[in-house]
Amino acid sequence: MALFATPRSLARLRCRRRLFLRSFSSEHARDNDIVIVGGGPAGLALAAALASNPTAKNSLKITLIEGGDLSKIQDWSMPPNAYSNRVSSITDTSQHFLNKIGIWHYVEHARTNPIHQMQVWDGISGARITFDASEIPESNEMARMTENLNLQRALLRKLSDTPSVRVIQSVKVESIQREAGDRNDWPLVHLSNGATLRARLLVGADGFNSPVRSFAGISSYGWSYDTQAVVATLNHAPRGPFQAPNNTAYQRFLPTGPIAFLPLSPCTSSLVWSTKPHLAAALNKSSPGVLAQLINAAFRLPEPSFQYICKRLLEGVNSSEEIKEEIAFRERSDGISSHSAYASATSMISDGGISPDDADALPPLVISIQQGTIASFPLRYNHAESYLGEGAGSRTVLVGDAAHTVHPLAGQGLNMGLGDVDALSRCIIQALTHGGDIGSYTALMPYARERYFENHKVMSAIDKLHKVYSSTAQPVVWARSVGLEVVNELDSVKAALMMNAGASSRLQNANGWDLFAKSVGSLAGAASTSKMVGEMVGAGIQVLAKNAGERFFGRH
Amino acid sequence: MLSAAVRPTTRLLRFCQNTRCFQSAAATSSTVNAAEIAHFSRLSSLWWNEQGEFSLLHRMNPVRVHYIREKLLEATWEDQGEDARRVLESKCAVLTGMDVLDVGCGGGLLSESLARLGARTLGIDASESNIGIASTHASGDPQLSSSGNSLQYRHTSAEQLVKEPKRFDAVCSMEVIEHVDNPVAFLSACAQLVKPGGHLFLSTIARTPLSYFITILAAEYVFHKVAVGTHTYSKFINPSELISFFQTYRSSPSSSSNPTNSGHIGSDASPRPWITHTYAHGLPTRSEAEVRGIVYIPWSGEWKLMSRSSTPWGAVECNYLFWVRRPLDS
Ligand SMILES: Cc1cc2nc3c(=O)[nH]c(=O)nc-3n(C[C@H](O)[C@H](O)[C@H](O)COP(=O)(O)OP(=O)(O)OC[C@H]3O[C@@H](n4cnc5c(N)ncnc54)[C@H](O)[C@@H]3O)c2cc1C
Repeated sequence: MALFATPRSLARLRCRRRLFLRSFSSEHARDNDIVIVGGGPAGLALAAALASNPTAKNSLKITLIEGGDLSKIQDWSMPPNAYSNRVSSITDTSQHFLNKIGIWHYVEHARTNPIHQMQVWDGISGARITFDASEIPESNEMARMTENLNLQRALLRKLSDTPSVRVIQSVKVESIQREAGDRNDWPLVHLSNGATLRARLLVGADGFNSPVRSFAGISSYGWSYDTQAVVATLNHAPRGPFQAPNNTAYQRFLPTGPIAFLPLSPCTSSLVWSTKPHLAAALNKSSPGVLAQLINAAFRLPEPSFQYICKRLLEGVNSSEEIKEEIAFRERSDGISSHSAYASATSMISDGGISPDDADALPPLVISIQQGTIASFPLRYNHAESYLGEGAGSRTVLVGDAAHTVHPLAGQGLNMGLGDVDALSRCIIQALTHGGDIGSYTALMPYARERYFENHKVMSAIDKLHKVYSSTAQPVVWARSVGLEVVNELDSVKAALMMNAGASSRLQNANGWDLFAKSVGSLAGAASTSKMVGEMVGAGIQVLAKNAGERFFGRH
Repeated sequence: MLSAAVRPTTRLLRFCQNTRCFQSAAATSSTVNAAEIAHFSRLSSLWWNEQGEFSLLHRMNPVRVHYIREKLLEATWEDQGEDARRVLESKCAVLTGMDVLDVGCGGGLLSESLARLGARTLGIDASESNIGIASTHASGDPQLSSSGNSLQYRHTSAEQLVKEPKRFDAVCSMEVIEHVDNPVAFLSACAQLVKPGGHLFLSTIARTPLSYFITILAAEYVFHKVAVGTHTYSKFINPSELISFFQTYRSSPSSSSNPTNSGHIGSDASPRPWITHTYAHGLPTRSEAEVRGIVYIPWSGEWKLMSRSSTPWGAVECNYLFWVRRPLDS
């Protein structure tokens, strides 16, 4: 990789054999086989995947453009006990891919943490599902928590050994145009440093607001969730001597959105708390001490009590002492004993090292929040209508968040992007070995076919899950809790649900999500009709049982 | 599968004739005028519109190239062993150093792929319009227009080319033979253009009830996918006919690599036919010739090369690929 912060004289006069072409093409544009816009995880991984293949490496001229400063990421380092607030769960499938392209060993493993178990429960009914990696054959972890910067740095380090990929950083794509003329015109990418790149294939890895997607005229379908995700890095005491290490991820579905606790090290974890914007704003503004208490309460207090605490926060109660008082009061009135793991205000630090019986059902108590790690992001659902540009937008392809954005509750966004990159790089290499034009629709079609519906399935399952859990209507809550408990009983269904987190083949993954979507769908369906509650639950169980049966009897 | 055998080249040819007559070959003439360029740009964008009426042809191309690659790797294994095959396979440009001829190149779909794979490629077509389209398109791609003349187009026919001394490591003629008036003369011309040890690749349509149904009844009369009259059923050629042609076809001495020696070939040194052995069901041995069906899969939108074992005849009910190798010692 050659890092060009301010590349001079990019424009190079290209000499063409045939005189008459002059008028049709931009003489000052620099020809590239692939121009990747976006140096996020998806864009960098695509460059690295292509660079790892000898065929692609030797025959393609690749340029990646990133508006931000990548040299900072390449030199990124943090003390061992401090962690960035942007963390992603990297699934086994993604790890296999990163291994295959020679990236995984550039990732600093000491800063990653395996997830062996996931506990997910309904904020209102308390119904709970537990996923355990030991139940997945041939896999000892469900996913690995990895800081996005750790992954991006690994990708950049790999690319720094690869002169065939040119990375232009701190330079923005200002506009994209179609070459004049009505022949096989290529996209022209105009950069903020005045240079212009001509692309055989233009890849949009440029995130949610993808300029490449707009250029290609690809519309995108979706909505904003009216939800913000508050993130932070949390400090807590290590797990007790009789407890499992900090390898369990916890997620509680509150009616305002899920709150997730994702382990990073024995005494550090990452928070992703999705909630309504006004509450997110209040959480964002509150002092680290108050936020720590609110997080503990959010995992522990009965839902009405927690709602009350939030109300108090919004009313302006924002001192640490006042919040502690409020929480302690609710705990007393809810009859939570101070020895219970559900007590947070009264037993901030467990005494004597003996943990309460129910401690494994909850994340450890947060003691403090790492400085400068509180931030929030808007959440949305979005799926591009197509991954390939056509007509005036031809020779463009979308990957990662430029193609799709999902709610982070299942930790799939980045993993889907890596899945795209895997498929697209294979598709490009295949076209190369067949002498194809890698910018052509024919060459890229297999990529879109492999990924579009696969992603769509995962996305709609996540979306349905989000919807069904944000309801507080009594019948829905009841149906949902019964549904969840049914899920807990049916091992085969659970195994299917776990496929998304664990390794396994792509096929199993797909089946898992299918089943997931169907089960959740049946609950959502039940929620939207106003029939007898019993009937609804019955229908839900029926579908679940049917799905389970199908798995038992091996129909797929 | 309905329009499996669409023949865009002929159709476009007709279209070109109807619109405007082409004056001079754009790529070769130095006195090109702007109107001509515009004209060919228009035709070219029509021909090369991958989602347009030639989409099936575009999608078929990767399968053809895949097959060509596969056979060349196999031949390398046959001649030089596994190590040489592996070395070649690891290269992207498997045709590097080879002279390849594309007879009936149309808009240049196959020719461009062959050139990208490293072959010194010559595309010829009986239609001047097609040559204009192909040249115009290739000139827009810096990889093809700047790699030292590796891709050239000429308005000529195989029969004409035979009169010149140049011979090729591989001759390809895709979806052409079912349109020529004298297939035997055409086949002989193609075969004569192949160097000893070289390859001939053809693709065409078998004469079966299914192919009649798909390519003529359905495509021309029912769905109007192809202009009526594009295909003539009686001109379709069955694989067994190609095989029997090469069971008797011997390279004429004058077409050997060294024409000056031709007078010295005695009666007992007479060259052997290209196909010497066939199995009981009439198929040749795999090192001499091969027939493989290709089938369009509508739900995936892709063509599929049928496996050798799918039927003894490789599912050659409609579209198929044919490969034969000229013996080294002929
Ligand atoms: C709170 C939260 C938690 C998440 N947790 C997980 C998780 O656990 N697991 C998981 O898999 N996913 C998770 N995700 C999703 C994941 O973060 C994203 O899917 C992923 O970062 C997308 O990567 P990307 O490379 O596609 O896009 P981005 O990371 O958005 O990168 C796009 C890049 O393009 C650049 N760019 C844009 N426009 C231009 C321009 N005009 N010129 C030059 N450069 C430009 C930008 O600077 C940016 O660097 C989470 C997301 C959120 C918000």
